[in-house]
Amino acid sequence: MTGRVIVITSGKGGVGKTTTSANIGSALAKRGHSVVLIDTDIGLRNLDLLLGLENRIVYTLVDVVEERCKLKQALVKDKKNPNLCLLAAAQTRDKSAVNAEQITKITEKLKKDYDYVLIDCPAGIEQGFQTAIAGASEAIVVTTPEMSAIRDADRIIGLLEAAEGIESYKLLINRVRPAMIRTKDMISVETLVDTLSCQPIGIIPEDTGIITSTNRGEPIVNDEKSLAGQAYMNVARRIDGEDVPFLDIDKPKDLMGKIKKFFSGLKKQGKEQ
Amino acid sequence: MEQLNENIYEIDLSEADTAPDIIFQLSSILDKDETRNKRICLKLGNVNLNQAQLLSIKSLISGIDSTLSLIDTKSTETEKVALSLGMIISNISPENITEAAPEMPYKMADELKEEQNNFTSEHASKKVCEADIVLNKEQASSQTQNLTDLSSENSSLSDKAEIYNETLNIGDKEEIKEEILPSETQEPICDVNEISNEEDISIVSEKSDNKEINQNVQDELDVIFSSSFAQNTFYEMESTESEYEPKEELTDIVVPEAEYTKEDIELESFQTKYIKQTIRSGQVINFEGNLVIIGDCHPGSEITALGDITVWGILSGIAHAGAGGNQKARVRALKMNAIQLRIASCYSRRPDSLNTAYIEKTNSFTPEEARIVNNEIVVFKIND
Repeated sequence: MTGRVIVITSGKGGVGKTTTSANIGSALAKRGHSVVLIDTDIGLRNLDLLLGLENRIVYTLVDVVEERCKLKQALVKDKKNPNLCLLAAAQTRDKSAVNAEQITKITEKLKKDYDYVLIDCPAGIEQGFQTAIAGASEAIVVTTPEMSAIRDADRIIGLLEAAEGIESYKLLINRVRPAMIRTKDMISVETLVDTLSCQPIGIIPEDTGIITSTNRGEPIVNDEKSLAGQAYMNVARRIDGEDVPFLDIDKPKDLMGKIKKFFSGLKKQGKEQ
Repeated sequence: MEQLNENIYEIDLSEADTAPDIIFQLSSILDKDETRNKRICLKLGNVNLNQAQLLSIKSLISGIDSTLSLIDTKSTETEKVALSLGMIISNISPENITEAAPEMPYKMADELKEEQNNFTSEHASKKVCEADIVLNKEQASSQTQNLTDLSSENSSLSDKAEIYNETLNIGDKEEIKEEILPSETQEPICDVNEISNEEDISIVSEKSDNKEINQNVQDELDVIFSSSFAQNTFYEMESTESEYEPKEELTDIVVPEAEYTKEDIELESFQTKYIKQTIRSGQVINFEGNLVIIGDCHPGSEITALGDITVWGILSGIAHAGAGGNQKARVRALKMNAIQLRIASCYSRRPDSLNTAYIEKTNSFTPEEARIVNNEIVVFKIND
């Protein structure tokens, strides 16, 4: 058995790489796959926090690389989902502690035992990024509908195209706010996809639930009512090869919203005519 | 001679009596490292220099990557010759210049400006050029200018041309209102202005419709605007701002008739490279020839070619055509949104009015072409 190694990257910080890694990892595990998450953000680790596994970490990625422990010992099992494992980053070291060869060795080993190996990439395009993408054959580029994030995503896609190991890359658009798109204050998803000329794999709406879920240490995919959770679940299904239509994130919540949307739709039609 | 600040270097040769003496002294001064990459103010005594001598001085200075920024001379002969070459004559003390000359908003500005000056020195031996100056402050303050066609011959070029606001000096609107042309320098320019029936040349108005110019005037204009004098004076004049009263603004654009020159032959002899991919941020493409890119050029990308650049898509990055100095090189794109355009030694940035963060793809793009007109980069719509 050979699993798929997917790196989750963005270039810009704060767009939701770690949240995406945690949620896609959990979603894939929920669907019955065996998943291992690798946090390569050495020195600034967060992935363990999002999964609520901070207190269980004994050995880290750096310990594995420096052969203080075996790979199996460093893998932390998730609280809820026995299919999901985490290989945490060391907090006391920095990015130079691990190099591309070492991470490739680790992913090669993990690929044999797990369906999916997800690598959470640090922000930036320096050594940390190069290390993170070394072992991967697929990439998910996370971006938000802001110019700075789009610009950085563009740069990252350019680097991924140039990288040897990466065979395919997809775009994940995070923190989309339909209300702002309606008022033309935010770039629309279609324009964004056109601008970057890259296939989207998911469109995640802005959701305040993400903050609470991060604070609680429980990925939002476990909350089935949440729109963002559903969107992440759909991403996992698409990674699995299913053909899932994109979620209608512009769903009005109450009656007033429905009426407003109806009228704005009429206005749009009028303008087009 | 003394060093005034990091950029300006003054050389005092007022004691030298003969032209060979000046050149000899100058070359010994220019041997020093501290004169490199400077704007040089040259003080000359009562020596009459001819065109060739002035040019050789200028090439000496440009040979060490410096620019001849000011000439201060007591001889009226020399003054006339220097004026005709587009050099700046002044008796202002260089301190004023440092104050008046603003830091350019872009890094490229200084380099290209210097390049441009060097370029003029090479070509200045052409027929003496005079510039037409048009008072049009409103137009100057608007960053993008629409210009209407001058003549029926040129009507195929475009109805509407957007001028990429090339001089960085025009960057700030407020500055422009105070923009000044020195009266001294201006006089000789205006003298020659008789040919130009003002209405005919001061086109630049959005509302003004096609005006007809008779062939004679057009011919004369071609001669006038084939040179880069106007451009250069404008650059330099700003540095002498503080001394003069505000007067006039240089804003006119005239499309000269194309002549078949060596540069065209050079362009035709270049090889052409096709690139079928999206050029993304951070990617750099260089080619010693013509470049055709099938795909978009995203912001942050850089394309450089010795010949033409053609982008079959949206051009949003930086494009530098004619990087070897070919003034006839052009940049074409289905949608021109380039953050900066550079052709030969000319340089322009995207007008702020066009500063859209992203372009929505439609099926109704009008292809556009940028080329040098009157030493400015002008973008034309290709309608037919």
